[in-house]
Amino acid sequence: MDALTAYTLAAAKWALPVLAVWLLLRCVRSMLREKYEPELWAFLEGRDGTRAELRHWECIIGRAKSCDVVLASGDVKPTHAALLRSDDGAWTLYDLSGGATANGALHDDGAGLAVCDGDRLTFADTDMTFRALSEDERAETELRRSMPGMNISQGVTLLLLTIFQVLLALEYAENYTGDAQRNAVLGFAFIVLLQWSFFLLMRAIDRRGFEVETLAFFLCTLGVAVTASSAPDEMLKQVLLLLAGLLLFLLLGLWLRDLRRVKALRWLVTLGAVGLLLLNAIAGDTTYGATNWLSIGGVSLQPSEFVKIAYVYVGAATLDRLFRRRNLFLFIAFSAVCVGALALMGDFGTALIFFVTFLVISFMRSGSFATVFLAVAGAALAGLLVLTVKPYIATRFAAWGHIWEDPYNTGWQQTRALSAAASGGLTGVGAGSGWLHDIFAADTDLVFCLLSEELGLIVALCAVAAILGITFFAVRAAARGRSAYYVIAACAAAVILVAQLALNVLGSTDVLPFTGVTFPFVSRGGSSLISCWALLAFIKAADTRQNASFSVRLFSRRHIDGEADA
Amino acid sequence: MKKVKRRAWAALVIALAVALGMCVYVCRFANEHDQWVSFSANQHIYSGGALTIGTVTDRNGVELAGSADGARTYAADAATRIACLHAVGDTGGNIGTGALTAFANRLAGYSVVGGVSGTGGTVTLSIDERLNRVAYEALAGRSGAVLLCDYTTGELLCMVSSPSYDPLVGFDADNSYYDGVYLNRALSAAYAPGSVFKLVTLAAALENIDDLYARSFVCTGSTEVDGNTITCSGVHGAQTIEQALANSCNCAFAELSLELGGGTLEAYAARFGLTESQSINGIATAAGSFEAAADGSAELAWSGIGQSTDLVCPVTFLRYVSAIANGGVAAGQSLLSGEGGGGDRLLSADTADKLRSMMNYNVVYAYGTDRFPGLTLCAKSGTAEVGDGSSHAWFAGFLDDTEHPYAFVVVVEHGGGGLSNAGPVANAVLQAAVAG
Repeated sequence: MDALTAYTLAAAKWALPVLAVWLLLRCVRSMLREKYEPELWAFLEGRDGTRAELRHWECIIGRAKSCDVVLASGDVKPTHAALLRSDDGAWTLYDLSGGATANGALHDDGAGLAVCDGDRLTFADTDMTFRALSEDERAETELRRSMPGMNISQGVTLLLLTIFQVLLALEYAENYTGDAQRNAVLGFAFIVLLQWSFFLLMRAIDRRGFEVETLAFFLCTLGVAVTASSAPDEMLKQVLLLLAGLLLFLLLGLWLRDLRRVKALRWLVTLGAVGLLLLNAIAGDTTYGATNWLSIGGVSLQPSEFVKIAYVYVGAATLDRLFRRRNLFLFIAFSAVCVGALALMGDFGTALIFFVTFLVISFMRSGSFATVFLAVAGAALAGLLVLTVKPYIATRFAAWGHIWEDPYNTGWQQTRALSAAASGGLTGVGAGSGWLHDIFAADTDLVFCLLSEELGLIVALCAVAAILGITFFAVRAAARGRSAYYVIAACAAAVILVAQLALNVLGSTDVLPFTGVTFPFVSRGGSSLISCWALLAFIKAADTRQNASFSVRLFSRRHIDGEADA
Repeated sequence: MKKVKRRAWAALVIALAVALGMCVYVCRFANEHDQWVSFSANQHIYSGGALTIGTVTDRNGVELAGSADGARTYAADAATRIACLHAVGDTGGNIGTGALTAFANRLAGYSVVGGVSGTGGTVTLSIDERLNRVAYEALAGRSGAVLLCDYTTGELLCMVSSPSYDPLVGFDADNSYYDGVYLNRALSAAYAPGSVFKLVTLAAALENIDDLYARSFVCTGSTEVDGNTITCSGVHGAQTIEQALANSCNCAFAELSLELGGGTLEAYAARFGLTESQSINGIATAAGSFEAAADGSAELAWSGIGQSTDLVCPVTFLRYVSAIANGGVAAGQSLLSGEGGGGDRLLSADTADKLRSMMNYNVVYAYGTDRFPGLTLCAKSGTAEVGDGSSHAWFAGFLDDTEHPYAFVVVVEHGGGGLSNAGPVANAVLQAAVAG
C-alpha cells in the first residue's frame, strides 16, 4: 500500500462520520429549522373588513378553537361548516350544523353548495364574503414565498453525499480485489449517477426541495455498502431494485398530485391489497417460521411490503370523508384483514408495524382516544394468542433481555451483532473489514450492527437520525398540507418507516424483542427497498413549500413564467 | 384541517419513543462496549476461542506473548514460558486471569473511538520474568504460589503458580500432578493460612488490649478450651507478646482470640479485605473466609490462629503485609506496569509500626538472619494443617529497606513447615530482586 493510499484511508475513517453528520445537519436544518410561509388560497371577509385566511383546501368554520376559521358569535355552532376546494379550483360549502347558507340558499342533499368569489356566506348570525384568490393574486403570493435551498444549497449537500460515496468506494477498492472490488465500485458509481440524474431532473421541472431524497440516497448508499460487504455478487440486482424504487417514487408522487384520481382508485387498491395477502396466505413460501414470501416466475417478493403502500393509500382520507363514520369502520375492517393475515402468516414484525400505523391513522381520522385504547386492548389479546400458537415467537420474547445468558443458542445473532458493533467503536473497522456479514441475516435484521461494525457507531446513528429527520419533517409538513389526505398519508408513511426502524434497530440490539424486520432503505432486499421509496412519495406529497416537491402542482407557474418572460 | 394537523403529534410520539430507545442503546454501548468486544465469538480478536493479536511483555520489555500470521507466539525461552504461564495465559483461554484473556481489549488495540485495530496493542505487565523464573525454580516442582510486589506502588513484580507447563508443548491431562493446572493459585485460590493469620489477630490485639505489652503469656505446651485441647509447637513458658509471636505460640494466641471475641476478629479480617474478592486491574481475586465462632469456643481459639474454617487468598494476604510495610496503607495492586498506586489505609501508622518491629524481631531472634543474608527482613511463617496430616507452608513478609521496598507471600501446598520450606523460596526471590 503506497503512502498516499494509506493517508487517504486514514482520512476516510474520520471523514466518513464527519460527512455523514454534516450532510444530516444540513438536511435537518433545511427541513426543520428554516421558516416557510404557508400557502394562501382564499379568505373570508367580515362586515367590518376583517380577513380570515384559508390556508388549506379543507377548512372548518365554527366557534371552537380547533376550527380553521374561528367565529366569535355565540349562535355559531362549535363546528359549523366546512369549505372545501377541489383540484380544479372550485369551492364547496358543506353545512355541518343546519345553518350555513350561501347567498341565502340552504342545501339539503349533503352534496354541498358551490361557492364563487364574492358570494355571501352566512353562519348563523355571522355574514361573511367569500374571496377566492385570482390567479394573478396567487402568482403574487407564490412569488413572495421562500423556496427551499435559499439558505442551504441542496446541491452542496448532495455534493457532500457524493464525497461520502467516493471515499466509501475507495475503501472497498482498497480492501477488496477481483469481482467483489469491481462490483462495489460500480455500485457506488451507479448510485452517484442516479442521484445526480434525479437531482437534475427535479431542477429541470423547477423543484428545489431535495432534502428527503438526499437522506434516502444517503441511506441507500449505506445499503449499497451493506451489499458490497455481505453479497457483492448481488450488487447489480440491488442497484436495479434501487432504480425500480426510484421510478415508483416518481410515478406515485406524480399520481398523488391529483386527489380526484387518487380517490377514484381507492377501491381497486383495497381489493388488490387484500388479494395479494390472500394469495400470499395460500401460495406463500415459508422461511424461518414466517410465510411472507411469494415466488412469481422465479422472482420472489414480499407481498406485505407492497400492501404497506396500499394501506397508506387507502387509510388516508380527505376531510369530507372524515365526517362519515361508515368510512372509519370500513378502514378498521381493512386493517383487521391486513393485521390478521400477517399474524396468520407468522410475520409478527410486519403485523406490528401495520398495527402501530393503524393506531396513528385512526387517531388522526377520529381524534378518539377511546378507539385507540380499544384497538390496543384487542391487539394485546390477539398478541397473546399469537404467542401461544407460534412457539418461535414466544422463544424470541423469552430471549429478550437475556441474550448474554445463552449466547450459543437463543442469543446467537444478537450477541454477535453487539460484539461486532462494539468492535467498530465510533469510527468503524473499515468498509468490508468486518465479520458480522457472515452471520445469518446480518444484511437485513442485524444491519444496524453491521454498519456500526464497519463504518462506526456515528454513521450508524446518522442512518437512524435520517429516518427520524424524515418523520419530523412529515409532521412539520402536516401543518401546511393542502388536504387532510396528504397530511394523514405523510404521517402514516413516516410512522411505517419509523416503526420499522425501531423494530429493526432496537430488536437487533436487544432493547426490544427481536422481530426480524428490515431497516428502511438500508437492509438488503428488493421488496422492502421499493416500498420505502413509494412511502416517501406520500411525504413528498405533503410538502407544500414553494417549488419544493414534484408531487405538488404549481398552480400559477404559467404566471411566474409569464412575468419572467416579460 | 387544524384538528387533523394537530393530531399529527401521534406520529411524533412514536418517533420520540424510538429516539428514547436509541438513547438506551447508546448508554448501554457506552457502559458495556468493553464486555461486548471481549466476547469470545468476536472474530476481530479471537480465533477458536483464543486471542490471536497483540503483544504481552514483562516490565523490562521481554516479549512473553506475540502474534505472527494470525497465530499466538510465546517467549523464546522455555523456562520463561513455564514460569510466566499463569500471568500470560494459555492459547485456549482456559486461564481466565491470564493477560491474554483479562486484558483482551488492550491487546486488541481497542479504543471506543477507533474500534479494534488490525495490528493489536501491547500490554506491559508489571511482572519481571527473571524473578518468575527464579521463583518457579525455587518451588522445585512443588505446587503453590509465589508473589512479590513493590509495596510503595502495589505493582506485582513476581507472580508464579505451580504446577505449570509449557504452552507450546501442553501437558499430560491424565497425570494427576496437573490437576487444576489452569488455576492461578496466586489469585484464584484460597488456602488455610495457619500462623500467618496471627498477624491479623495481633493487629486486633494491639488496637483493643491496652496492656498487651505489659502482659505475660504462659505456655505449658497445650491449653484446654471448652473441653478441647489446643496444642502448641513446644513448651514456651512465660513470654512477652513479641516472644509469643516469634514462638508462634498457639496458647498465647488462643488466649488473645478468646479475649477479643469472634466478632472483633471477623471485623478485622473484613477490614483487611481478606474475606472479600479484590479487583486487580479488573481481575477478581478469590475471596477468603472467616467465620465468627461462639464466645469461649475452641473454634474461636483455632480461628484466631489461622485454622478452623479460615481461608485466605495469597494475593490478598500480600496486600495486608504490604500495608504493614507501607505505614498502614495498602497501595492499589496492579499487574500492569505503571498502573499501581492510590491505596487504602488498612492500619494506623502506629499499629503498622508495631507489627513491623515484631516481624523483624521474628527474623532476628527466631528464624535467624543467616537464612536471609544481607536482607533487612520482617516476616511471619505459617504451617497450616489441612486435615490430611500434611500442612501448607506459608512465609509472608517484606524488606524494611527503602531501596528495595518488596513485600512477598510464598505458599507451598503440603510443603510442611513454613520457615524451612517456604522460607528458602522467599529468600531466593528476594535475593534476585535485590540483586536487580
